[in-house]
Amino acid sequence: MNLRNTPTREFDFVLLLAAVALTVYGALLIYSGSLTTYGSPGQALSHPVSRQVAFAAAGLAAMAVLSRIDYRLLGPLSLALYVASIASLLFVLAVGASAYGSRRWIEVGGTQIQPSEIAKVCTVIMLAKYFSDNEEKMRSLRVFLVSMLIAGVPAVLVLVEPDLGSSIVFGVIWLAMVIIAGARSLHLLGLFAAAGALMPVAVLGIADYQRDRLDIWRDPGKDPLGTGFNILQAETSIGSGRLFGKGFTHGTQTQLDYLRTQTTDYVFSVGAEELGFIGAMVLFALFVLLLFRCVRVAGLADDAFGRLIAVGVMSFILFQVFINIGVNIRLVPVTGVPLPLVSQGGSSLITILASLGILQSVLGHRRKRGRRT
Amino acid sequence: MGLLTGTRRRRWRSENTETPDPRQQLNQKLWMLRVIVLAAFAVLSLQLARLQLMEGSKYEQRAELNQLRIVPVVPSRGLIYDRTGKVVVENVPSFSAAVVAADIPKNRTLEIAGGIEKLLGVPALETTLRIEAARKSNDPFTPVIVKDGLDQATAFHVREELPKLPGVQIVVEPVRRYPAGAVLADILGYTGRVDEEDYAILKGRGYLASDRIGKAGVEAAYEKYLRGATGRKEIEKDASGRELRTLDEDPAQPGNDLVLSVDLDLQQKTTELLQAAANGGQGAAVVMDVNSGEVLALVSLPMYDNNVLSGKIDEVRLEQYLKDPKKPLVNHALAEQYPPGSIFKQITGAAALQEGVAVPSTTIVSRGYIQIPNEYDASIVYTFKDWRELGSLNFYGGVAMSSDVYFYYLSGGYHAYGEAFDGLGIDRLVEYASAFGIGRPTGIDIAGEADGNLPDPAWKRKTFGDDWRLGDTYNMGIGQGYLATTPIQMVRVTAAVANGGTLLTPRVVREVRDASGHVIVPAGPKIESRVPVSPENFAILRDAMTQAVSWGSAKAGAVPGIEVAGKTGTAEFGPRFADGSYETHAWYSGFAPANDPQIAITVFLERGVGAIDAAPVASKILDYYYHRPQQNAQGGAAPVGVTP
Repeated sequence: MNLRNTPTREFDFVLLLAAVALTVYGALLIYSGSLTTYGSPGQALSHPVSRQVAFAAAGLAAMAVLSRIDYRLLGPLSLALYVASIASLLFVLAVGASAYGSRRWIEVGGTQIQPSEIAKVCTVIMLAKYFSDNEEKMRSLRVFLVSMLIAGVPAVLVLVEPDLGSSIVFGVIWLAMVIIAGARSLHLLGLFAAAGALMPVAVLGIADYQRDRLDIWRDPGKDPLGTGFNILQAETSIGSGRLFGKGFTHGTQTQLDYLRTQTTDYVFSVGAEELGFIGAMVLFALFVLLLFRCVRVAGLADDAFGRLIAVGVMSFILFQVFINIGVNIRLVPVTGVPLPLVSQGGSSLITILASLGILQSVLGHRRKRGRRT
Repeated sequence: MGLLTGTRRRRWRSENTETPDPRQQLNQKLWMLRVIVLAAFAVLSLQLARLQLMEGSKYEQRAELNQLRIVPVVPSRGLIYDRTGKVVVENVPSFSAAVVAADIPKNRTLEIAGGIEKLLGVPALETTLRIEAARKSNDPFTPVIVKDGLDQATAFHVREELPKLPGVQIVVEPVRRYPAGAVLADILGYTGRVDEEDYAILKGRGYLASDRIGKAGVEAAYEKYLRGATGRKEIEKDASGRELRTLDEDPAQPGNDLVLSVDLDLQQKTTELLQAAANGGQGAAVVMDVNSGEVLALVSLPMYDNNVLSGKIDEVRLEQYLKDPKKPLVNHALAEQYPPGSIFKQITGAAALQEGVAVPSTTIVSRGYIQIPNEYDASIVYTFKDWRELGSLNFYGGVAMSSDVYFYYLSGGYHAYGEAFDGLGIDRLVEYASAFGIGRPTGIDIAGEADGNLPDPAWKRKTFGDDWRLGDTYNMGIGQGYLATTPIQMVRVTAAVANGGTLLTPRVVREVRDASGHVIVPAGPKIESRVPVSPENFAILRDAMTQAVSWGSAKAGAVPGIEVAGKTGTAEFGPRFADGSYETHAWYSGFAPANDPQIAITVFLERGVGAIDAAPVASKILDYYYHRPQQNAQGGAAPVGVTP
């Protein structure tokens, strides 16, 4: 009997379908949002959409490969991946400092890569590895603080870029994982108390551009043409979509190019305007399905390492969805994070599809409780 | 004991596991995660429902009116000055009525179209169709012009009615006005609305469908300098589309100004003098600085008024221009080509001297004609006429009297009836003509230049399927036959003779300046190439042309007080009359002062004789140029160098 070593060969097609459906949903919105910029439908299809499809294909290929490889192999590699991702963040800062003073991307072979997207997954893996290695010592303050440091380094590096949105994502990943891993409530309470006490300092300390954004969020009329213009126009786009929307590619706001970055940070408003509340609910349903399937993986994982990876990936997808849509509907201040799987952009799309591949691997490489043959 | 053991056991347990069942605790946490997911989406859904369902109509209305709008700011087109600083192009406001489909309430379309009909006489149906089309288009926010060229009074009247007509606008846009009108029309050209076909390309360069663009002349050639860059303005509008306030502006960048090399007074005078001689026919005159290539005057007859084509087009006058057989819209100084006649002898002469075919003392006798027998049948004899029996001539005499026989010898040679004189031959003649810029555009900065025609044996075989004959070379040597040139090509030939062989690219724009007066493109000669003729030989040719004016066939070109050099031309064209004669074009091409050439002039008249019709016009133009009353405008205010 070698039941222990028989992989279950399980593959979650529902998870795959939810991810593909979201990607297709995104490609359609990118097509609609690019019509004005690219003139003819042909060009809109050929340029941003075909690129997005190519990225999706690359992401799905990565998912297929990673789902076949035992995720446990990532354990020994986790430190190397983590260090490499930290190095790439430092590289962006170095290159950025000499070029524009602020940059989130690096150019590799004509394609822009956003290292912070890759760093999120690498940090998830590193934290999962660290927590699973210290399963017995979860109640110690040392583990609590070291893990906080693991997430804190990339968080600070992206904050300097400056990219507050991604920085908070690292914090949320850590928080979700440390709770699931079993941190002491006392430590968490202490952390929250400290954070609360430091809040005024933080408000004073945040970059001016962030404070301006906060002010504008509270009163968009202050700067109707800068960031405020986008907030007001996004709100108008979404609100005017009403229940059924204005019809695909018929959004008056979208097609008049009122929104800047309407295929990236504001892609949701394109969908809400053209496909209405119903279209948005379909999108929400797909996300809920995707996230529930991630939670399911966490529940079925047969070790802490796999379970914590699933929780980490799930938490950063959820948080980014919430922040991105929240910005669009003026629920949270303007913070530039992409809508996972939907926004135009290769780094985020490929990273998330690849992460879901790791989750498939967690599901497919269980040794205990395998199906009896 | 039991108690002790129990305590121990409890301590031991609590060090390893927090609760009796970690699996259950994990499941609790995972359920918490699911609840968090649902809660997050519930919050998003609630806010979304508030925006889309509860306040949806408010936003719908806001989207429909879209109070915030980004509108283009049209840059002011660069101004144009003549070389003495006189403004020759102005921007004046033009009023038109336009509709913005997005601002017209759907149920009031007919009512508004009717209102426009009442005010402006545009049929309501036409306006309705326009509004509907704009509504369906990608861009219902761009104003669609329903009537342009409104006079100021009508525009103000309509403006008063606007509160009753939401979505109707009075658009004010600058159009070009040319104070000098026809006098500079052939140089300046005009602007007009972007054609739909062109717009597809121009859109990418920041043009708007309602933009005006240079269509001819300098306006077209210097479009990229004159235009400037369109700005953007973010404005707030009220419900009927009227601008309430400007929120932000990325200002338009005004176009650059041009300074013409053309001297408006000289241009005016040249026009008058040429008109007096042309008798309503076609003609052209060009005055050029022989050292810089700057054109001081360029006239084409008949003229057209470019104000007719700028702004609201005067359809009646445009129709007249288009139907006129004399083609007033064509620039006869550079877009039409004619046989140059004897002024081409400048080229034949220079080539013959340089190639050693002739020296100043080369003597040829003109008995009024030469005859050559057919190669195969000596009983067939071809006769080539001179314009008169001129007797024995050396090079100076040949040029001065414009002997055709002399130039038959130089171009084709003569080997018959016991005489043997080697001429240039067609190959060398073509080579030199090409070196003088014949057969290709001069590159002048006015659009629409013609190539002319420089024939050679290959061209004749291709075009007529026939061999090149000696007679063809003779004809070309005196500027006849298949040869065709433009006046601008010929003035540049004369300028090259005058300046000792520098082939210049003629220009009508002297320099380009930005809106604050900084020179962007400085003045300075633009040299195309050098003509391979020695300075000594050019000096001989200049001497010969000086003699043509002092005692020869070009005497009518003389100017009192200034020594002038010139060459007349009388070019035959069209069908042969019964008496063996042809209709003729009159040409004159010369330069002054003869010993220190500064300016070259070429005059062309569609019908006439060079010595009788063209030369006197040139004489009067030069006389004005050198002896005009001292101008006040040449004081400190003049932006460019003083003309003599």
